[in-house]
Amino acid sequence: MIQSVDRAVSILVELQGARRLRLTELASRLSLPNSTVHGIVATLVARGLVEQDGSGRYGLGPGVLRLSNVYLDSNELRLRSLGWTEALAERTGAAVRVGVLLAGDIVVVHHVLRPDGSHQMREIGIDIPAHGTALGKAVLAYDPEQARQLLEDHALPKLTGRTHVDPAALSEELAAVRRAGVAAAADEAILGEAEVAAPIFDGHDAVVGAIGIVVPSSQAPTDQATTDEVRRAAVNISRELGAAAWPPTTFEVASSGG
Amino acid sequence: MSTSNGGSPGAALDPPASLDHLVVTRWITELDHRLRAAEAYLTELDAAIGDADHGANMTRGARAALTAIAEEATTEAARLVAAVGHALSRSIGGASGPLYGTWFTALGRRLPDAPADPTALAAALTAGLDAVQQLGAAELGDKTMVDALAPAATAAHEAARAGAGLAGTLRLAVAAAEDGALATVPLRARKGRASYLGARSEGHQDPGATSAVIVLDALRAAAEV
Repeated sequence: MIQSVDRAVSILVELQGARRLRLTELASRLSLPNSTVHGIVATLVARGLVEQDGSGRYGLGPGVLRLSNVYLDSNELRLRSLGWTEALAERTGAAVRVGVLLAGDIVVVHHVLRPDGSHQMREIGIDIPAHGTALGKAVLAYDPEQARQLLEDHALPKLTGRTHVDPAALSEELAAVRRAGVAAAADEAILGEAEVAAPIFDGHDAVVGAIGIVVPSSQAPTDQATTDEVRRAAVNISRELGAAAWPPTTFEVASSGG
Repeated sequence: MSTSNGGSPGAALDPPASLDHLVVTRWITELDHRLRAAEAYLTELDAAIGDADHGANMTRGARAALTAIAEEATTEAARLVAAVGHALSRSIGGASGPLYGTWFTALGRRLPDAPADPTALAAALTAGLDAVQQLGAAELGDKTMVDALAPAATAAHEAARAGAGLAGTLRLAVAAAEDGALATVPLRARKGRASYLGARSEGHQDPGATSAVIVLDALRAAAEV
């Protein structure tokens, strides 16, 4: 790994978390000398990825927005999802999200608001610990390596009192997701919110993300027709991404849960 | 010590010494007034770090609670409070319904059959807090209603132990809750929808902690009549 590049990325991540930091604060968070951090940060400022405000504090710069927009515009999963997410929101009356797995979290790459005209938070770019959301369970069920790492390596956080955090129980839940082809969650990420989600596969039979709806917990469990709509959207997006079968034949005979 | 609020006409009314059904009825009536007055403010706070529905949810809940109290027709304070809890669970959407529903229900369960003195009230406030924390998994400092409810319960215990009356106990509890709600402003949300915003949740007062102050202050007002 190139040390200075790694440090530059660490600086960007620190600024993402803290918004605005002085040079000394940044240096102490990275446990590096001021002079080292100054050199890297000055380069990032020159390239527009970091900017300095009037009081001398550093924050993320407009270059980051350009990069993230290109990421969203070139993310094939997101592009292929656009039409299907709108349709799913229309048919179910629910908010729809598409997420990808990144380091144990689901990052939402596309979000269609619940089509009732109400004020709602935009969720593109948010991350949710994967075990706490149906999107995460749908992906983890078909990504055994990531699932194993997540369940073995971490003390899983409780997002609410109802988040499932017991590794053995979660492992069984993922087996159930493979049998059903869909994942569900209620009150596990946010109290009052329930989800149904299904995995999306690409032409290499790899799971690349998941699509899911969010409904009030009072409407959970959702009826079969709604579950089928979610599954159908996942099938259609997977087909556009080149998947020959849904789920891939490697998973067709679901593991018996052991 | 006064034990009744229903004195003869013209008699000077002492503030109630214990939480009886009359105080509970006044509490929820006060709460309905105050939430309607604060609806726009709660909406504004929630628009910054949530779905902007907290104000409307809470006023809808208060109306349902008033109806529930009228239908319950009992002189047992504890049963009225529990009935309010059930009404809130059913009527408020989002996270606030289950959380406030749980808080009132746990309060009602912990309150004695007889009118509660300050010590019993403090114990009930702790029971409500515990139930909310179990449901939401929120700790102090996570920028949630716990940041108002926890200091209020602690202050109520201290005030009751020091011999403060019902109204005095509640005054100190409300003051602690107000401080706690104000202290949520710089915090980063770690639970609930606002936690999705990460650092962007900093610099905003938590709507749930704010409505918790209103709930407690309505009770204080009901006990000061």
